[in-house]
Amino acid sequence: MSARLEAEHLYKVFGRRPDQAVERLRAGAGREELRADGTTAAVIDASFSVAPGQIFVVMGLSGSGKSTLLRMLNGLLEPTAGRVLFDGQDLTALTDRELRQVRAHKISMVFQHFALFPHRSVRENAAYGLEVQGVPRAEREARAGEALALCGLAGWEDSWPDELSGGMQQRVGLARALATDADLLLMDESFSALDPLIRRDMQDQLLELQKSLKKTIVFITHDLNEAMRLGDRIAVMRDGRIVQTGTAEDILLRPANDYVASFIQDVDRSRVLTASAVMDTGVDGHEADCDCETATPDTPFTDLCALSARLTHPVAVLDAADAVVGVVPQERLVAFLGGEAATGPEQVTARA
Amino acid sequence: MPRLPLGDWVDSGVDWLVAHMSWLFDAIKTVVEGMYDGVNAVLTAPEPLLLAGILAVLAWWLRGLVAGVLAFAGFLLIDSLDLWDRSMSTLALVLVATVIALVISIPLGIWAARSKTVSAVVRPALDLLQTMPSMVLLIPAILFFGLGTSAGVIATLIFALAPGVRMTELGIRQVDAELVEAAEAFGTSPRDTLLRVQLPLALPTIMAGVNQVIMLGLSMVVIAGMVGTGGLGGAVNEAIGQLDIGFGFEAGVGIVVLAIYLDRMTGALGTQISPLGRRAAAKARTAESAKPWNYRPRPAFAVIGVVVLALVAGGLGVFGSASGTKATSATDVGKGKNITIGYIPWDEGIASTFLWKELLEERGYKVTTTQYAAGPLYTGVATGQVDFQTDAWLPTTHAEYWKKYGKQLEDLGSWYGSTSLELTVPSYVKDVNTLADLKTHASEFGGKITGIEPSAGMMGLLKTKVLKEYGLQGYDVVDGSTPAMLAELKRAYAKKQPIVVTLWSPHWAYSDYKLKKLSDPKGAWGKGDGVHTVSRKGFAADNPDVGKWLKDFRMTEAQLTGLEAQIQKSGKGQEQSAVRTWLKQHPGLVDRWAPVKQNQKSQAAG
Repeated sequence: MSARLEAEHLYKVFGRRPDQAVERLRAGAGREELRADGTTAAVIDASFSVAPGQIFVVMGLSGSGKSTLLRMLNGLLEPTAGRVLFDGQDLTALTDRELRQVRAHKISMVFQHFALFPHRSVRENAAYGLEVQGVPRAEREARAGEALALCGLAGWEDSWPDELSGGMQQRVGLARALATDADLLLMDESFSALDPLIRRDMQDQLLELQKSLKKTIVFITHDLNEAMRLGDRIAVMRDGRIVQTGTAEDILLRPANDYVASFIQDVDRSRVLTASAVMDTGVDGHEADCDCETATPDTPFTDLCALSARLTHPVAVLDAADAVVGVVPQERLVAFLGGEAATGPEQVTARA
Repeated sequence: MPRLPLGDWVDSGVDWLVAHMSWLFDAIKTVVEGMYDGVNAVLTAPEPLLLAGILAVLAWWLRGLVAGVLAFAGFLLIDSLDLWDRSMSTLALVLVATVIALVISIPLGIWAARSKTVSAVVRPALDLLQTMPSMVLLIPAILFFGLGTSAGVIATLIFALAPGVRMTELGIRQVDAELVEAAEAFGTSPRDTLLRVQLPLALPTIMAGVNQVIMLGLSMVVIAGMVGTGGLGGAVNEAIGQLDIGFGFEAGVGIVVLAIYLDRMTGALGTQISPLGRRAAAKARTAESAKPWNYRPRPAFAVIGVVVLALVAGGLGVFGSASGTKATSATDVGKGKNITIGYIPWDEGIASTFLWKELLEERGYKVTTTQYAAGPLYTGVATGQVDFQTDAWLPTTHAEYWKKYGKQLEDLGSWYGSTSLELTVPSYVKDVNTLADLKTHASEFGGKITGIEPSAGMMGLLKTKVLKEYGLQGYDVVDGSTPAMLAELKRAYAKKQPIVVTLWSPHWAYSDYKLKKLSDPKGAWGKGDGVHTVSRKGFAADNPDVGKWLKDFRMTEAQLTGLEAQIQKSGKGQEQSAVRTWLKQHPGLVDRWAPVKQNQKSQAAG
């Protein structure tokens, strides 16, 4: 599948003589050296690609450059070097006017603090993007109403943003982004300002929506649990660089360096891992012979534990063709929870 | 440190502007005066009560019933103080200055909010305009625009510009950056971002700026009154100049009523036109109980009410202005020709000015009199804004002005002489009869001589010559103003305290109080001045009759002090009727001072 969005060697440097700074970074200069000269390298040599319908999460602590990276994707910030390709079109080569057209029609954005216009009603907020597109009033209000309903806000159209709770406000923000029918959704720490329960609700709702809408989403977060929950693929950023890109399992089981490893210590593995990561692939073939329950490679770790508790023997993992691809003995589950899995499945196999 | 000739540069810059840019200033002047005349015509057309009603309905709509009633009461008060026309002229001045200030300052504020460079350039310029003492800017304004409305409007405008720019810039910069980013992220063009997001959200702050512009404008009208804008500012100036505390207070109350009205209305307008403010107001209203005094007319109803009242008012205004008959007689030499007389609020100036106003009106001229400070008055006559003034003390006291403007002026001769300058003590102060006596009595007077404006010619003379001549360097000359000096004299006189003041003859103080002129055996004050009539260049040639009358005009001390006393007795605002009364008591003077040719007279008789 070709990529919907591609970032090629993006650099963003703030301060004097940014081009020179990029040259020095390419030659191997570090961020600290540049800072001494008064220039700040916010993003250094970031490359990735996002497939259509994928949720791509950029994870990093504050100051890691993730928000700057996001703003280069829709041209709010102009990259100092590198290209952004959207459906094969180089956004960095567009004029301001063309870029505004792309933003109005194809890329929309959801903000950390919702950024709802306080002087517009909920409906007018949701219709804002359509208003910019020049859609006639009746149509844009109908479409805004649909988007609001999709986000669970039917009946709130005539309210004002300050009358809504934080979670509801962000639903308006989401509806505003969805109303324009943009293919690409940029979400900048969109759930970070919400309290944990609401945040979970919103994550669930986003995943639910994504099942039917199949948008391409770039999601920024500093919360690794959120990244693992939402991300089809995750990029971890540190000091302006992407240090690792991969699936949640890749990050969890094969951290690229100590920084990522230290990061994932606090992650609740049981929520992230699935049977495919835990199973022993050295299979005999008779594990599924009894008529008892089996798992698939996508079965979450917690379900696997429940299964295992009901069975006296290892859980069989079956693929789509009902062929046994692996087994999960109880001790492996316990070992994974204890952090043994950091060594990777190969070693587990070897020990088995 | 070498002396930086900054003042010379400014001088030559102003001269260059006057010489080369007069077309621009004339254009500005035409626009400003046109606006002012239009607004003033609208405000003065209806009956005062009707306009008060219209303004009250506006207040009712914007703020509620109580505000409406209070506004009506306030305007009634103004009308009952006989200040209606002056107030409307002040209101017109403030409105015009405000509109121009906003037309300049809001775009400038927007520009400054979008560009750091512009902001950095604009800020010190605004500081300069706002903190430069207003008189410093007022005099160049006269040179550029002449005396009257436009100089006043420009001076007001310059002073009031700063808050408009600052608050606009602040309002726009205050708008949450995330909101602006959100607008951009959805592809909004910079122009639409401004119109749809930044301006609506900045509106409350901008309206606070508008409010400040209006209030500062209003506070400037008194200063603007010094250059002949008339209105309440002119009234305050006249009152101050003549130590008329009561009239000054009345005019001050008029300004206060206007200020409160404009302040509350612009504040309420801010809530009405900003979407956020409207919502907050609607919320607050639903919380209130539905009492009758909380009822507000809907905007449509308010507009209809205002329009109906305005139509009625306009109709009455039309009928009102149609009346008025024109008397023609053989003594009508002037045939309605306009003549402008300017005067300094000194008693002999007021007396002679209103005397000539009466005489010339008797002879069919249309005469306008306006009060000025000495500097602006000379500028006005020199530039031809004012036809003549009767209170030039030459050759000594006004020597500086004559040196500067003499070439553009025509001296029509002295009508009273000679005057004298002196130090004066109340007659209850014993043992002090000559200037030399002061030396030994310094402690009695606290070592103080109560002076007048430091710019006055006699103050210079006193400090550089008189004190030295009599060895009075131990005295401190207190700079102040003529009214302050007179007030101090009045206070000391009432308590019978010793005081020594700078005074001159003729002066009404000599008839009101028992005073003693300290004799000047050494002649340090110099010879007395004559009080001259000074006109613009070519006035006598344009008006040969008036020119001749003025050249032949003489007054005796008895006549002058008698007229001054009559004016003093009649009180403020009654100068001309005092002159009329006085002329009736002295028949024949009219024909002596403004003779009409014999054949015309016989015609009149026949």
